[in-house]
Parts: sequence; structure tokens; C-alpha cells
Amino acid sequence: MKLLRYMCLFLVLIVLAGSVTPVSAQDYRFQVPEQSVVVTINVDGTIAIDYTMTFQNDSGAHAIDIVDIGLPNYQYKLQSITAEINGQRITKITDSDIVSPGISLYLLNNEIPAGGTGVVHAYITGVADVIYPATQEESEEYASLQFWPNWYGSEYCYGKTNYQMTIVLPSGLKDTEGRYFIPENWPGDSEPYSRILEDGRIFYTWESDQANGYTQYSFGASFPARLLNEGVIVKEPYVPPSDSGYSGSSGGFNFDLSSICPVIFCLGFVGFFALMIYSATIGAKKRKMKYLPPKIMIEGNGIKRGLTAIEAGVLMEQPMDKIFTMILFSLLKKSAAEVISKEPLEIKASEPLPSGLYAYETDFLDAFKETGSKRKKLLQNTMVNLIKSVTEKMKGFSRKETIAYYEDIMNRAWAQVEQANTPDVKAQVYEEVMDWTMLDKKYDERTTEVFKGPIFIPAPSWWWRYEPKFTRPSTTVSMPTTTSAPSVGTGASRPTISMPNIPGSAFAASVVNSVSSFSSNILGGLTGFTSGVTNITNPPPPPSTYRSSGGGGGGGHSCACACACAGCACACAGGGR
Amino acid sequence: MKLFHKFKIGTPVPEVFPPKAGLYHFLRESDHQKSRLHLRIDPDNSGLLMINASRVFHLNPSASHMAFYILSETPFKSAINALSKTFNEPKQALLRDFETFHQTINSLMNDQVCPICDLDLETTAPFTARPTAPYRMDLALTYRCNNACAHCYNARSRNYPELSTQEWFAILDKLWNLGIPHIVFTGGEPTLRDDLPELIKHAEGNGQITGLNTNGRKLKNRNFVNQLIDAGLDHVQITLESHLAEIHDKMVCHAGAWEETVAGIENVLKTRLYVMTNTTMLTHNSPTIPQTLEFLAKLGLPTVGLNALIYSGHGKTVGTGLSEKDLLPLLTSAKEITSNYGQKLIWYTPTQYCHFDPVIMGLGVKGCTAALYNMCIEPDGSVLPCQSYYHSLGNIQKDNWIAIWNHDLAISLRERKNIPEKCATCAIYNECGGGCPLTFEVENQLCMEEQ
Repeated sequence: MKLLRYMCLFLVLIVLAGSVTPVSAQDYRFQVPEQSVVVTINVDGTIAIDYTMTFQNDSGAHAIDIVDIGLPNYQYKLQSITAEINGQRITKITDSDIVSPGISLYLLNNEIPAGGTGVVHAYITGVADVIYPATQEESEEYASLQFWPNWYGSEYCYGKTNYQMTIVLPSGLKDTEGRYFIPENWPGDSEPYSRILEDGRIFYTWESDQANGYTQYSFGASFPARLLNEGVIVKEPYVPPSDSGYSGSSGGFNFDLSSICPVIFCLGFVGFFALMIYSATIGAKKRKMKYLPPKIMIEGNGIKRGLTAIEAGVLMEQPMDKIFTMILFSLLKKSAAEVISKEPLEIKASEPLPSGLYAYETDFLDAFKETGSKRKKLLQNTMVNLIKSVTEKMKGFSRKETIAYYEDIMNRAWAQVEQANTPDVKAQVYEEVMDWTMLDKKYDERTTEVFKGPIFIPAPSWWWRYEPKFTRPSTTVSMPTTTSAPSVGTGASRPTISMPNIPGSAFAASVVNSVSSFSSNILGGLTGFTSGVTNITNPPPPPSTYRSSGGGGGGGHSCACACACAGCACACAGGGR
Repeated sequence: MKLFHKFKIGTPVPEVFPPKAGLYHFLRESDHQKSRLHLRIDPDNSGLLMINASRVFHLNPSASHMAFYILSETPFKSAINALSKTFNEPKQALLRDFETFHQTINSLMNDQVCPICDLDLETTAPFTARPTAPYRMDLALTYRCNNACAHCYNARSRNYPELSTQEWFAILDKLWNLGIPHIVFTGGEPTLRDDLPELIKHAEGNGQITGLNTNGRKLKNRNFVNQLIDAGLDHVQITLESHLAEIHDKMVCHAGAWEETVAGIENVLKTRLYVMTNTTMLTHNSPTIPQTLEFLAKLGLPTVGLNALIYSGHGKTVGTGLSEKDLLPLLTSAKEITSNYGQKLIWYTPTQYCHFDPVIMGLGVKGCTAALYNMCIEPDGSVLPCQSYYHSLGNIQKDNWIAIWNHDLAISLRERKNIPEKCATCAIYNECGGGCPLTFEVENQLCMEEQ
């Protein structure tokens, strides 16, 4: 019971001594949205207390006219205290008759009116006799400081406080020597930030935006005693003068002060409690920057225009059987080949070949001159070369932006097809842009959908080249030798030729099935074929060999893109002498 | 008593300061790669990350802070704490972004990874960055030269006054403080300065990457090469005009020069230096450029550079320059040859893309970067927009850097204010920039004379 009594007294003392009272009447009502406390421990055993608090006074509440700040003892000098309200110097600072020991800051003409906000800053230096021996086991003697910053009565204060508490340890401390105490009642991380100041001093900072102004928190730290001047560590606990009992508006208390001493010594750290306020101009310094996610940019080209649909398909990592089918259709449309057998697929190159074929097209035709595994090998080579070619073309260009660009072309192609009014026009537009529509992962479903129902469409002019059973038209139609992105048009400029009509559904099925039949008949299964390609295009990393990347002159790296990045300093690097 | 139970000793998380504005140098080594990185943080907290002084990335404030913590190997938790102190963002979000960003930074170190096509980094239009100082400073230590090229762009007297070693030291320090990570010693012939190894050593001591542009004749002396390497030199560019001694010697107007230059190339190729050559394609040597490239490949050059005549100094009047339209077949052939030998080809000359488009050629975006990404300091400390543009912007020793950097001519070049009229509406104006300003100055002059 005796211990309990002592403890109660102790807590009462803390509460009374620690209260900072910006108020003296019942109609005070305010929030403290921000509070920052910095306690700096000096080698002479004194501390400086820097305290910043933002008051947001309620509308209709009493103006905040005086701010009282509790101090740990009377070992301070009024002339060593400076304070400001909203940057205006506070000229009247006295010992407080509300909190003792403590001071009163008179805001005078700068009082915080109802509904107003004010930032009060106080800087109290040279507070002595506050460092006590620490009792934790260390290899040498440690000193400690335990600290209770100010709080306000909950009848006056409410709301959340963005709270920051910092203890700056004496200079000369090594980063492994500092110790902090777990804060009491603290809603934030118990582990503080530890930072080394430019002058080598270490400080701990606790921060929380979930704190408030009416809860009593405690913080503490310890450090080797050798960092302080000899004789500055207080060996006896602080005992307020016997006449320093609290006397407030709500009544007075008298203490048997000697009774609290055992309690203080009971504290494991035998530290010091202080109910401190401080404020500083650090509020502005601590202002955080607006955050935008990290972004790296490089100078270079954005979209690689001018890729063919097939190259765009490679870029978009379309399945290889689809890419080959696209090549096949491309060749058929260019009159460069015809299918002589669909099951199994056999094609015959035109004689002579039209001009302007791409390398992947001629490679493809060459592959079909062979049979069996040799053909498969040549098709793999075709794909490898195509991938390498696209990779080369893409150097210095944005893959993401380029893919988006070609996806847009694909979508516009579909839009043209789907918006066509009649089956005839639909078929005509589809034929023009089918290479782009094939880039769509759902091209089979969409193609089937476009040509569903009992409709008949004119067969494409090259259809006989794909369907051996289809009757070859009597008129030879010269088709363009290159493909182009879709454009809004009706195809009116194309040669007028009378082609037989075929069921739309049959046309769609034939187009859609072309890919799967290519995969099964020619490639002998897509998985094995693909891995045969990717083993070459994406080889395992080479064995580690140390090399220097050098530097300068734009050299030192293999990617040609590096010099496409205009930001590199290699441009005009002093040549020409 | 609760207080006692909660009392606990903890080992705090080390915390670091947010990076201050300035230039930071980092070295990264892995099993197969070594990189030197420079992070320049500007006062507004945006940053530039330069890898081996050749790849430049632009960072927003959060990226520049994160890059700093990653490159300085700040403990993860400390970095998050520091970021949380700096930026108004919940720790969880910072953590997520920091982890992702860490991977990106690691990928950037891999010089086999294309930052644009593999990493999908956001791109900005070429030459649109507006740094506070160039990325590279060429130091023309002397205008003396042991060759006498008829096409040389040097417009100054060979007896031009020169600064002392100590003065160059001070300039190197100043350049470091300005955030310039890359120094190229040039001339004249910079190897004629006896203090070249000292200057290299000083720059390397600062953290700067150093390079040397030379005719290579003094590099025939292996001891001299060793001195340069011991000083820390990173790369060297040697001018060789032809595989044939008679053509080279004729172009550099010095009998026996070819032999010494080739010996110099052979010497440096045996070292750890990053070596490349440069050849100016003129009427004299252009017919045999393929053979010259074959010769260089067989010598073992990993990188070769080609450029066209620079219309400055003797270059204005020599009359041996090729027209831009003549470049296509030469560079097509050069690309094929270097590709066959696995070499890297660097094309230097900014051209008008309507005449010669280096992007279509796969040579990369080439435009004038004078007074933007590179500048030059003359032997007396005068600052030039580039090593061939002989209009002083001020003196690095005497004048305020901001005044030099924002000199009317510097701004005019950066903003491309004097480009030919026809270029203003061109769709690829950003990349092209109208070619080399010296070229159109000469063209304007010719027009004036014709009138």
C-alpha cells in the first residue's frame, strides 16, 4: 500500500508539473495538430529544450493568451529563454504561477483568437542538473535522461497530433554506444530514427501522426558517462522545494515531497523526468516534400514506327505459329506463293518472286523448299533472325510505347471491319487489314463473330492461293507488295474484279484454323519449336568474366541503343582533329 | 511499476541524412562487370544518374533520393526511415516503391540491358534536358601539336598561353563541384603537356572519369602509357586517318606519324584502357575507309569512331570535306564491316537528317550537344561551347559559372535559336537540330559571299 501511495503521489506530481496550460478558463478548447520537441544534451550536463507547438483554437473558444510550460527544475534562467508566436518575438516571459517549476509565455497582442491558429516556439537553454546515472549493465558507466514532454488537459485539448520527439546525445558518441528507452504510451514505432548530425552527434527521433496532445508520453536515452564533464551527473534525485506545490484554479495540492524520492530511485534507469516543452524553428525544416513515385527517364526515341504487322507481332510476343501464318498470308497477298496442299501444308514460291519481300519472307519460302526436320530447322532460323531483326530495330525505342502504338493500329483495324455496313465491304476491309487484326489475342473469336450468320462475301483476290480447291480467277490482280496500317476508306481505289462469293463462316473458319494447322502440321508442336528458338534468342547468361565497362566516348557497352540515347555525352566527342 | 517493465535497451536503426545537392561517385563491381556511377543531385532534388559517363538517366526527386540510398548501400530500414522523413508518403508505399526501384537500378548497371527497349523506361525527346552544367568537359590543355593536320579544327595559335598545373587542379576541383563527372583531355595534342599524368590523377582523385583524345604518337612510349594508366586514365581515343601510312601522314602533314600512331594504338590495346580510334572521312581517305576499318579490326579495336569534317579552323577552308549526302554509302559499308567484326561503331558528326539520318542508319540520335552536355575549356581557361566552336563564353577561373552557362551564345545553341529556317517546322527537329551549327555558319557565310 505504501508503494501504491508513493506511486500515486509521483504521478500526481508529474501531471501537475508537466501540464502546459495555455488556458485558465473552462471555455478553452483547442487542438494541437503539430508538436515537436528537441532536447539536446550538452557535455556540461545541461540540456537545451526546443519546443514548437501549433495551436488550433476552436471557434467560439476563449482566445489563447498565455502558454505555460513546465520545466524540470529551477536550474534555468529566464534570460536564457526565447520564444515566438507566429514568428513574432514574445516579449513577456515569466515564471509561471500555474506550473511550477515552469514559465509563462504571454502572447499579448498576438493571442490566438477563436478559430485561429498559432505556432508557439520556445527555446530554453542551459537547464542544469537533469542527467542521472543509468543502471543498466554496460562495460562502463552510463548516464541517462528520461523525459516526459508536455501534455494538456483532455478537457481543453482534443484531436490528433503529428508529434515528433528528438533527443540529441552529447558529441563524441560512437554509433554503437547510444541506447534509447522504449517510450511509454507512445502510439508510433518504439524504435526511433537514429541519425548522425554533421558535427558527429547522434540523435534519436520518435515520430507519430497518431499521437495527441493530452496523453503523457515518456522518452529516454542513455550514453557513456565519459562524454560529459566530470561532476555534472546528478547523484541525488530532484526534490522540488517544499513550497512548490501546485496551486491552480481548481484548487491546490500539498505534497510530502520526500515521499516520492524512493519511487524515483526505484526507476531502473534512475533517470530524470522532465516535463518539457520546447519549440524551435525546426517546424519548417521538417516540412516534408510532396511525394511522387520514383521515375527514371532517358532521352531517346519513343515509338518505333514503320514495323510491319509481322514485326509488331514479334514485338508483342505473339505465338510463333501465328507469326508464321501471318507470313504465309503476307506472301499469298503479295502473290509470292501459293498453297498447293493444305494437309500437310505445302507451298510453292512464285517465279519470279515479286520485289520488295522482307528477309523473313524469303527465308520462309526457302524453308518450304526443304522437307522434314531440315524445314523445321530453317523455320527456326527464320524466326531467330526475325526476332533479332526486331530487337535491333527496337534499340533506342520504347517497347511499351511501341506496343501500345501497334495495339492501337490493331484496334483501329477491328473498328474498321466491325463498322463496315455490308458483308461485301466488311470482307473487303478485313482483307486489307487482316494482318493487323491477327495481332489480337482474340482474333479467332472476333473473326468468327464478324462473319457469322448466313452471309456470303466476295472471296479475297488471293484466296485461290490459299485454298487449292478454290477456282482461280481468270483475271490476274496485282496486289500491293507491302502492307500498311489501316486507314479509313472503302477500298474504292482497289481494282474492280469480280470474285466468287463464299460463305462468310467458311472464310472465317479457314482463316482461324490456319494457325492451329500450321502449328500441328509444320512445326510439330509449338512448345518444342519455340524452345528451339528461344534457346538462341534468350541464351542462358554467359559465364562470369570480369571486365571493365570503361567509360567515356560513348563506348563501353554493347547496346547500340546507348548511343541512341541522346543524353549520352558521346555526341561529337572531340573527333576531327 | 509498469514503467520498469517496459524499460528496455534497444539498438537503434542507423539513420542517414537526406542527400545534399552535389555530385556523388560510386563504384560498382560484380563478377563480370565494373561500373562507375555518378549521381548528381540538383538543388530542387531532381537528379542525374550517369553510368560510366555514357548513359544518362534523369531522376525525379524521390528517385534521386532512393538512388542515393541504394548506391551508398544505406541499410534498408534506414533508407525507408529517411525517405519517410523527407517525403509525405506512408512508409508502406515508400517500401514498395523502394524495392521496385532497387531492382531497376540494379538492371541499369547491366550494360547488356537496354534501358529503353528492355526496361521500358520512360523516354523524353532528345536534347530536351536542361542541366545546370554539362556532363562532360573537354580540357584543351594546349594548342601545341606534333602533327599539323590540314583539316584541323583548331582556330588558335599554337603558342596560345597555357595554365599551370596548379591552375588546372583548381579548375578540375571547380568542375567537380559544378557536378561535372567526365573529363576529356584534348588539345592540340594533350600528351605534349608533361603534367598530363598529374592532371589525370587529380581528376580521378576527385572521382571524375578521365579520357584522352590524342594522335597517339607519344603513346608509342610504353613507359608513358604506364604513367597514364597508373594515374587512373579510363579511356583513350586515338586519331588514325588511314590504314595507309602515306595517306595518314599526308593528312596529318607529318612524315612518320602513322608508324608512331599505330605503335601507340598497339600499346594501349595491351592495357586495361578502353580504346577507340577516330577517323575523319575526307576526300583523301574516304575511298579506302573500308580497308582502314578492316585494318583497325585486325588491330583489335573494340570501338571505332568516324566523323566528317568540322567546319572550324583549317576545316573551314581545306576543301576536302564530304557532303552529307555522300555519307550514306560510306557509313553503310562501315556499319557492315564493324558489325562483321563485332565492333562498335560510333558516328560523331551532327548532320541534317534530311541529308543523312543516323537514326535510320542505326547509329543513334546524333545532334549538337555543345553548351548542353559537353563544353570545352581552352589552354587559358576560356570556356567554349564545344572544342571546335571558338567563341569564348567567359573564363572558368575568373567568371561566374552561371554567367558562362547562361551566356547568350550558350543559350542560343541549347535552344537552337539559329537553326536554318527550313528546319523549324521539320517533324524530326528535336533529334536533328539542324546539324552542326558550325556547318550552317559556314553555309551562311558562303551565301553572304555569293550575294
